[in-house]
Amino acid sequence: MSRGFEDDEILGKAYDGRLVRRLTVFVAPYWRRLAVAVALLLGAALTDLAPPLLVQRAIDGPISARQLDGLWPIFAIYAGVLVSNFALRYAHNYIINSVGQQVMQDMRTAIFRHIQRMSLSFFDRNPVGRLLTRITNDVDALNEFLTQGLVMILADMVTLVGIISVMLVLNWRLALISMATLPVLTLIVSIYQRHMRSTYRVVRQRLAKINAYLNEQIGGVLVTQLFTREARSQAHFAELSEDYLQANVRSVLIFALFIPAVGLMAAIGTAAVLYGGGQGVLAGWASLGMLAAFVQYTERAFQPIRNLAERYTILQAAMASAERIFGVLDTPEDVRDPETPAILPSPVRGAIEFRDVVFGYNPDEPVLKGISISIPAGQSVAIVGATGAGKSSTVGLLARFYDVQQGGIYLDGVDIRTVAQRELRRHVAAVPQDPVCFSGTIASNIRLHSAEISDERMRWAAELVNASVFIERMPGGYDHEIRERGSNLSIGQRQLIAFARALAFNPEVLLILDEATSSVDTATEALIQDALVKMLKGRTSIVIAHRLSTIRHVDRIIVLDHGRVVEDGSHEDLLALGGFYHRLYHLQFAEQAAT
Amino acid sequence: MSNLRHLLPYMARYRIMLIIGVLCASVGAGVSALGPYLLRLAVDAISSGGVQMQPLLTFGGLIILVALVDGAFKFAQRMLIATASYKVEYDLRGDLFRRYLSLDQGFFGRNHTGDLMARATNDLSAVRQFLGAGLNGTATAVLTFIASAILMLGINVQLALVMLLLMPLSTLVFVIVGGRMRQIFTSVQDQFGNISTRAQENFSGIRTIKAYAQEDAEIAVFAEDNARYRQLNLRYVLLSGALWPSMALALGAVAALVLLVGGRLVAAGEMTIGELVQFNAYLGLLAFPMIMLGWMVSLYQQAAASMGRLIEVLRREPEIASRPAARPLPAPRGDIEFRGVGIRYEQDAGGRMQEAEGPASGLLPPAHGPSDWLLEDISFTVPAGTSLAIIGATGSGKTTLVHLLGRVRDTDAGEVLFDGLDVRGLDLADLRRAIAYVPQETFLFSVPLRENVGFGLGDGADEQLLDHAVAVSRLSNDLSQFPDGIDTMVGERGVTLSGGQKQRVAIARALTRDAAVLILDDAMSSVDTHTASQILAGLREVMRGRTSIIIAQRIATVKDADQIVLLDGGRIVERGAHRELLRLGGRYAAMYRRELLESELRIER
Repeated sequence: MSRGFEDDEILGKAYDGRLVRRLTVFVAPYWRRLAVAVALLLGAALTDLAPPLLVQRAIDGPISARQLDGLWPIFAIYAGVLVSNFALRYAHNYIINSVGQQVMQDMRTAIFRHIQRMSLSFFDRNPVGRLLTRITNDVDALNEFLTQGLVMILADMVTLVGIISVMLVLNWRLALISMATLPVLTLIVSIYQRHMRSTYRVVRQRLAKINAYLNEQIGGVLVTQLFTREARSQAHFAELSEDYLQANVRSVLIFALFIPAVGLMAAIGTAAVLYGGGQGVLAGWASLGMLAAFVQYTERAFQPIRNLAERYTILQAAMASAERIFGVLDTPEDVRDPETPAILPSPVRGAIEFRDVVFGYNPDEPVLKGISISIPAGQSVAIVGATGAGKSSTVGLLARFYDVQQGGIYLDGVDIRTVAQRELRRHVAAVPQDPVCFSGTIASNIRLHSAEISDERMRWAAELVNASVFIERMPGGYDHEIRERGSNLSIGQRQLIAFARALAFNPEVLLILDEATSSVDTATEALIQDALVKMLKGRTSIVIAHRLSTIRHVDRIIVLDHGRVVEDGSHEDLLALGGFYHRLYHLQFAEQAAT
Repeated sequence: MSNLRHLLPYMARYRIMLIIGVLCASVGAGVSALGPYLLRLAVDAISSGGVQMQPLLTFGGLIILVALVDGAFKFAQRMLIATASYKVEYDLRGDLFRRYLSLDQGFFGRNHTGDLMARATNDLSAVRQFLGAGLNGTATAVLTFIASAILMLGINVQLALVMLLLMPLSTLVFVIVGGRMRQIFTSVQDQFGNISTRAQENFSGIRTIKAYAQEDAEIAVFAEDNARYRQLNLRYVLLSGALWPSMALALGAVAALVLLVGGRLVAAGEMTIGELVQFNAYLGLLAFPMIMLGWMVSLYQQAAASMGRLIEVLRREPEIASRPAARPLPAPRGDIEFRGVGIRYEQDAGGRMQEAEGPASGLLPPAHGPSDWLLEDISFTVPAGTSLAIIGATGSGKTTLVHLLGRVRDTDAGEVLFDGLDVRGLDLADLRRAIAYVPQETFLFSVPLRENVGFGLGDGADEQLLDHAVAVSRLSNDLSQFPDGIDTMVGERGVTLSGGQKQRVAIARALTRDAAVLILDDAMSSVDTHTASQILAGLREVMRGRTSIIIAQRIATVKDADQIVLLDGGRIVERGAHRELLRLGGRYAAMYRRELLESELRIER
């Protein structure tokens, strides 16, 4: 997956009051530290003003007067200014960044927390990559906004105004002469930045094209090779690469023109100060020290002018990211807990009733078209049917991953929508079709991060489902490290861990999506079978069955077809009936019976 | 570190540009060092008091002239060196791509796409940055330093030494602090990786999390990771926050010392005020280049590491390629013979394979021994113009078997003969041109449908061949659904095709090759039965006079083949024509009965 390769940020407004106000909620708790950081930065900006002034004092004072000792106090002040500038800047950097990190941490957790509350339909709509970008890149952009954006703009303004004020106070005539080039400089900078921005956009777009093409070519390399298309792929790639080269050369050109232009303006400024100032010195309204100081001030005025334009992009990116983040945070929960949740009778027995349930992932296309099923506590039921008959929807509804559109589902006589989801799922556990593993240890995969499950309980569950055999043989046993997505476990191992997990949580009602996996060897298959049977015993359970042996072990079979219950009874009864189940059995399971 | 010597041949192509660029840099550096000298002359003229306006105007003009000349050379320097660096990047990228296209499937199995992409993006740009910014910056810094040093030493040795010895301190500070920063940053990035992995796993495993009501526990763990990330970042900030302030401090300290020492020299009459101003101006001139020099050190380190990764790929020889004395195949007939062919399971190559593929299916890791054959002792002949069907369970090695013919991989035992010659001795391009292959998984490129279909055609696309292929594959049925017909763009920026449509594009693509051998690897699994039978009817025409190999799940697709082989456990367990196999009453016959039952069920519903 080529995340980010084709992203080209769409930038709009640089400032949006509504978004900034919402952002302040995250910053508000740290306003004191933020205020300190701003104060430190302003202090640092002010100390920046001192050195040229000290040079002026030194030249016009002790140096001109040839007093060797007069230089020491100035040097001491200079050193003091330098050290305090260092301290102020460093303290500012540390404090503003620590506030930024704190805000990012809060924001990430808030987004993550909100996403956890979303129902599965939200995850169906939003690809994982997109959600990930919200808590990574988008949050980073806001950090940039906080640490490099607003605060720095303020500091740049202070520096610029400070330099101009000091020059005016020191010598207004000389100030006007040396500032003469500033407007032209500002113009040059803004022209440069406009061109550079658009050129960079082209550079990024062309790079994205190269990367997308490269990614596709790596993915389809076999096709290219088998169809002996290498030469033409290379030619096309060379074209894209050439476009990118041209865009880059253009950016080099702009930069190569910009730097000398700035240098020229500085030289003109210096010449003007020398010429005008020289006259001033002769006429007595200026001094040599002032000339030296003004040359330095003019140089220092340049940096904030250049920064201001660059910060604009940071603001734009931050606004776009804030928009996206609040888009997630504003998504309401589809499946909600009631304000005053009903309490399930204690102990939960596990009687289930579906009453005229109608449901579709898309409400216009119902998958379940009015289903009524009543399952007494402790009964094990298999649901069978062709693909798309609505089997897995029944499980998703009972675990309340989705809500029904009509009718109701009752656990021990209580409508599950009136119960808190947390409470419901403590008693009703669904084992997903694809056994999911997380990076961590085997133990953390069985108990997830629940503190309620003891080591004994975890081991007991693993033993019961036959997982302990392979776990104990692994280095570190239960502490064996599992890699991302369980890639260092086989599918069979993952399946058994998923079973152990279900048992460790010991729910009264168990929902199992049982997928017969072709990639499991017969010995493992037998272990999985055995584990399944143990799990079903004495528990209300609904199995979406694909295995014959599973079907043989349940008390009752319900046949779904096109969203309706068509047959209901024991294996023998249904076979004798000679109807849908009979044919389905021969189709799906007869071959398994043969082997 | 010497990895960068591999860059020399690439640089040699642009040696004229680079040499002139460095020459421009040295002239520019020399000229720019003159600016402060002129400043001094002007200041001394003013301070001597007896000056007229005319010389001041001249000095001002000269300062501007120096800036112009300096600017012109710096412009030329940047244009030449930076452009050359982009051209080197272009060449490297092209070579890298050519190499990727020539490498075998084994290589792509062992290396993740993300890693291969990173080499072509991050590593390439690290090398280019070193060459462009690095050469530019180093040349300017070193030469300006030398030119200024000469001029300063000419004025006052004592003050010049203060500056020349202290200025490089800022470079040193940058190298030391920067190096330590990179170390800490690695741990920051690792933790960031943990956070995003955690979130990614949570989002993709959300069903499990919700099923056990573990959201709160997940939030707690995420918050913990997140807090740890913040702490690591604070450690980083503790250092990075000091970088620029300490540079400013170091450079400021030199300035203060120059003022103190120089001021005393002026006061003592050993130096003029103008000369002090000149020294001051050199401070400004050298500050940025000195910092850049520190940055160069880290650019160099990154570039050396990146070049190493690039060379790793560029030096890689494809395992499957034409042999030096490969025989051409000018007129392929399509006689195919497999003689005692065996294929081993992929061996764990350097550990990376395991990660890419995941472990085998059993509970215990398979011990690789001599018996680990995926396919063993496979022999059959397919005379030119006849058809062979291969049937077997998922994972029984059907696809691997047909891959041997086009040398997607080579056998581990036995040999595959094409027109009586071992495929390994044939010219690879000729061999592949003789085979039209429809793979199990269709890969479509984000280009117009027409190009996807005519993928194997030369530039002068044969319209008739294309139309015929589109008609036989029944892609023609769907063209009216697409906004621009056959010229509709495929992929993200165009239409998304259904599984069946994709497969039909793949069939059409193979048909345009007009090759001696046609291979269909489960090519109609997503095509509805009605269309599939239409396609089969059309294919019968195409297959006449051609050798064909068909892999299929449904027996209905293959029952007309001249011979059918049933694979199981890595061996051929049944073989013969459809009727013979039914008479045999074995596995094949059972599968066929089940299939008939299935179609009966479908009709009833």
